[in-house]
Amino acid sequence: VKISVPARLRVPLAYGLAGAILAAAWLVRGGATWWFAIIVVVSVAPRVFVVYRRGGRDSDEGALAGSRVDERQQEIRVRAQALTGIVTMIAAFVGLTVEIAIKGPAWWAFLVIFAVGALGYVFGLQQYGTAGEGVPDGEDAGDDEPFPVGR
Amino acid sequence: MRNRVREQRAQRGLSQADLAAALGVSRQTVISIENGRYLPSLPLAFRIARFFEVPVDKMFDPDDEEAGT
Repeated sequence: VKISVPARLRVPLAYGLAGAILAAAWLVRGGATWWFAIIVVVSVAPRVFVVYRRGGRDSDEGALAGSRVDERQQEIRVRAQALTGIVTMIAAFVGLTVEIAIKGPAWWAFLVIFAVGALGYVFGLQQYGTAGEGVPDGEDAGDDEPFPVGR
Repeated sequence: MRNRVREQRAQRGLSQADLAAALGVSRQTVISIENGRYLPSLPLAFRIARFFEVPVDKMFDPDDEEAGT
């Protein structure tokens, strides 16, 4: 069964779903901090509404929020996502090294984030790049000399 | 890379929104192309050239590095 979500609802629904999962996690955790779930819901709900409204604007941000991007806006999104990945990897690496140095307990969490990011990068190369480079033909066939160092 | 999109659009009395709708892109992308901040993909460049009935190498001049990305 294929469920089709209207384009303009996709990003707001993703925000709402993420908020609901986070709130559920606080509820499952229970204890004295269960009410953090309410804070999550109260914080995320207006954000979902704002993103939905933004999706109706005639702007790049509106196109991104409303899931109706053209090729240039798609490029903007991909570049922003790439930057997000780089910043996350740097933050995870810094967190990992600091936690190791101060004998902190959370080093493994940073290691997991870093490792997942690294695996994602390798998967991305395989999926979008190196797997599609093809094989040379004609005069280039069999030319497998290493690329000169320094070029 | 200089292009003649703005010039061609003005000759035909089209707004940026009209051109965007005809090309199936956003108005912001037409503005970026006209300002030389965005180089369109090859398919979009051909769509623009065909829309204005101008050869693609007349619409986009690769020898002019004055503007573009």
